[in-house]
Amino acid sequence: MRTAILSRPQPMGRIIGAAILAVIAGFALLGPVLVPGDPFAQSLMKSLAGPDAAAPFGHDHLGRSLFHRLAYALRLSPLIALAAVATAASAGLVLGMLAALRGGWTERVLVILADALLALPGLLMVLIVLAIMPGTATGFWAGLSLVLWVEFFRLTRATARATLASPAVQAAKLLGFGWSYIFRTHLWPEIAPLMLTAAAFGTATAIMAIAALGFVSVGMRAPTPELGLMMVELLPYWREAPMALLTPVIATFALLLGLTLLAGGHKP
Amino acid sequence: MLIPVRSLAGALVGLCLALPAFAESAINVAAPFEIQSAEPSTTGHIFTRMGIAETLVDADPQGRLLPGLATEWAVSDDGLTWHFILREAVSFHDGSAMTPEAVVNALEIARAKPGPLAGLPIVAITPEAGAVVITLTEPRAALPAYLAESRSQILAPAAYGADGQGLAVIGTGPYRVTALTPPLSMRATEFADYWGDAPHVPDVTYTAVSRAETRALMAESGDADFVFNLDPATVTRLSRSDALQVHSVAIPRVLLLKVNAAHPFLEDADARRALSLAIDRAGLAQAVLRYPEGADQLFPPAIGAWHNRALEPLAHDPEAARVMLENLGWAAGSDGILTRDGQRFALSLTTYPDRPELPLVAAVLEQQFRAVGIELAINSTNSSEIPAGHQAGTLELGLIARNLALIPDPIGTVLSDYAPGGDWGAMGWQNAEIVALAQSLARGEGDDKDRARISAILQDELPVIPIAWYQQTLAVRAGLEGAVIDPWERNFGLAGLRFAE
Amino acid sequence: MNILLSRLVQAATVAVLVGAATFAMMRNLPGDAAWRIAAGRYGYDNVNAAAAEAVRSELGLGGHWFPAFLQWMGNLFRLDFGVSLVSGQPVIHEIAHQLGASLWLALAAVGLSLLIGPPLGIIAGLRPGGLFDRALLVVSTALKAVPQFLMALILILLLSVQLGWLPAAGYGQPRHFILPALALALGLAAVNARITRDAMASVAAQPFYAFAQWKGLSRTQVLWRHGLRNVSVPLLTYLGLQFVLLVEGVVVIESIVGWPGIGHALVHAVFARDVPMVQGTALLLGLGFVLVNALIDLLAARIDPRGVQ
Repeated sequence: MRTAILSRPQPMGRIIGAAILAVIAGFALLGPVLVPGDPFAQSLMKSLAGPDAAAPFGHDHLGRSLFHRLAYALRLSPLIALAAVATAASAGLVLGMLAALRGGWTERVLVILADALLALPGLLMVLIVLAIMPGTATGFWAGLSLVLWVEFFRLTRATARATLASPAVQAAKLLGFGWSYIFRTHLWPEIAPLMLTAAAFGTATAIMAIAALGFVSVGMRAPTPELGLMMVELLPYWREAPMALLTPVIATFALLLGLTLLAGGHKP
Repeated sequence: MLIPVRSLAGALVGLCLALPAFAESAINVAAPFEIQSAEPSTTGHIFTRMGIAETLVDADPQGRLLPGLATEWAVSDDGLTWHFILREAVSFHDGSAMTPEAVVNALEIARAKPGPLAGLPIVAITPEAGAVVITLTEPRAALPAYLAESRSQILAPAAYGADGQGLAVIGTGPYRVTALTPPLSMRATEFADYWGDAPHVPDVTYTAVSRAETRALMAESGDADFVFNLDPATVTRLSRSDALQVHSVAIPRVLLLKVNAAHPFLEDADARRALSLAIDRAGLAQAVLRYPEGADQLFPPAIGAWHNRALEPLAHDPEAARVMLENLGWAAGSDGILTRDGQRFALSLTTYPDRPELPLVAAVLEQQFRAVGIELAINSTNSSEIPAGHQAGTLELGLIARNLALIPDPIGTVLSDYAPGGDWGAMGWQNAEIVALAQSLARGEGDDKDRARISAILQDELPVIPIAWYQQTLAVRAGLEGAVIDPWERNFGLAGLRFAE
Repeated sequence: MNILLSRLVQAATVAVLVGAATFAMMRNLPGDAAWRIAAGRYGYDNVNAAAAEAVRSELGLGGHWFPAFLQWMGNLFRLDFGVSLVSGQPVIHEIAHQLGASLWLALAAVGLSLLIGPPLGIIAGLRPGGLFDRALLVVSTALKAVPQFLMALILILLLSVQLGWLPAAGYGQPRHFILPALALALGLAAVNARITRDAMASVAAQPFYAFAQWKGLSRTQVLWRHGLRNVSVPLLTYLGLQFVLLVEGVVVIESIVGWPGIGHALVHAVFARDVPMVQGTALLLGLGFVLVNALIDLLAARIDPRGVQ
């Protein structure tokens, strides 16, 4: 009865999400191996032409293979997103543990900092960091890491505080077990599932940000194949070649849907 | 209880859909330029285009100068003293009269700011009865053309603050501003005391829409009646629509490759010729710009005497380019990129996305240059990187859209870009003959043979490599008559537009 | 009172962070700031060495960073945001100009999302596990996965280009609101609907709810008296959290449809390196978030005094 009342992470949804992501990853990694080609090679004669053997998804306005551009784009954004999430998760985990263990001013300062970052729109932070950092990919990585660590920090701190106060941990401490043992046996099993959900949401957030900024022309730059950039490039040709525009649209949707399903339920 | 909410929403949506698309008494203009403020040195070109501010001198589509706020002008025999007789009974939008003092005030303020007037050898601008006198230290035959530039617009003294900053747009044009809301919109209405013919349509609005796709959609939906500057793909599409007329005219703007001729790879003219031969202009023009042809020399045919018909057209011949580069000591490496003395033929190409076709053309060039063994790294960035890189000497190649007629006489751009060089022109390249010819033309000496000679030198030496001549495009709602494209990009000609009966 | 104090600390930290970040941005501009600003002011046809020099001498760019930083933060705390480097207008004046347009768009989006989401959520929550509930789950999951810019693109293609029902861009008339507001609202509604559905389902499962029905109130009366009141608290709290999401959406959507609001101004300011404008808009958005959440804390305490910690 309870499960019907509250929407919980649905195992079925998670399986479907993981399957979608596996298909996308398979396409991005294996597609160019099966059909070799260059995402940058142009052929102006084939501008907006339909699919052929060398370009199974047809050609864009410069006659480049959409299949290979899409495969490249589906490696680029997830790669940046995963790097940012990994950085943010480690930073959040370490700082969250630190706050929970040390308490006092360390905790207070970190919480105030996290609360303040929470109040600033993530896209804005990424935009500012992009303006400071040289290189778009590193700028995205740094900016997104800065935005995403807060979520991991809050999760870790809340869970760690509750767990550290539990009788089991108190007993372990009395028995003389070290911190690394307590972390592995008591803390990590509590935190890990939450981290997975947060990581899936974080990856989706990062991919959305990269695509959105690409779409408004302040993110990745041409001729890099990037999902948002591909959409804005192909938008003027919608009447002539609707499928060319729909290809990155569908891919982005599938990628984000897969991540949302994998995360399951609500944002923690 | 849920029903009322939903029907309310339905009613709201229905109400909004039922609203009329536009009022018949207004022309809604959509253009890419954002309004920054009431400052003429930055936003003045919008005020002149919209028929709000005017200049002393006007120009027709052929580039012939016409009387504007000055009815006639004359220069002394030594070419140093210019008299501009002012039009009588002209009043500003605030009701004050356009006196010689007001004109001098506006010109002095314009001259103190960056702009074409700032570079002129002016000693003094003085008022006289019904006239303004400009004294120079050396003759400048094109002075009237400089006064036709939008930043030389004449605003009332009350338009400027104490420091010369523009505070309000108080011009003399057929329309006066009723609401100026930077950065995106402006409204204007008919000025009752205008000295010339009253406009046919009493109200105009201006909306800055930076995205070309969005402007095209506004043209299609009827949200804008007059849409300036369409992207190439849109032109094809809109041309088929019955609700719109698409106008297209050649303008003196050129898509070109600015070359650092001081760069060790590019200092030999043959290296620049090889780059030129590597470019498939026709393919590029048709696929990216959707023009029938590319540029085969710097000056487009529309620009009169500067276009030299006798020149051998720039051609596409990658094989010849390879041979030329081989003769310069370059040999293909294992990856197909040329090397010489252990150095790869790799260059960076800087461009800016403000004009959407530039990064696209850059992407195409990257492939075409690779075909002859030259590697390009494209850096699409802020437009200021071009002049900044020029000043620092770090620019290698720049892909730019250069307006050859910032003033309605190409001599202005030739002087600033090629005699001897300039931020948006030749770099690391000097030619004494061009400097001498251009200066004599600027003084008012010389003839069309000299202009043709300048074109010939530029064609032979290629300090910049022309790629395509621009077409200005415009979509006007069907039923709106009298649209004329000003190739000098000075005026939308709104006052001459009328709705068909 | 404690709530307000912590919100005040949050606001001050936001101000310091924004100040420091924008100062770093100003000092670390790749390339020369004077050139960038000159390009923003004079356009690509007219930016040249003379224009850049004029900007440099006017703004006095240069000098040691530390005194400049102290002055920067000092100005910030005196609420002196300076003038826009591009337009030369006071930043506060520019923002005041643009804030209205953004607020209307945000309100229209929230309003629209409340018209769509909660009613559907209540219907689903009254019969958890039913066909409608499951359909709503599928639809809301799919909608959540669509970023706002993609939603805007899809709506433009569908409603403007294909059907010609709505203008794709423009500002000033009611019909211009529908498309951008809808693009923002659908994502918000997807989550609103889930929140409402969960809250409704748990309220409907409470004994007092069944008791109210049993004592003879009609279904509508029960819903009105007991259901909505309890549903509104989580919904309200959630709206506060959504504010950031909404602001992000506004930034992107405004750029796409050319809406003259602060989001559009912000993207432009970043592009033209107009740092005072970036600082002003960022500060406004950050403090706006704190303010909205402080108000929601107070409002939630009024509706349901039990929930206050």
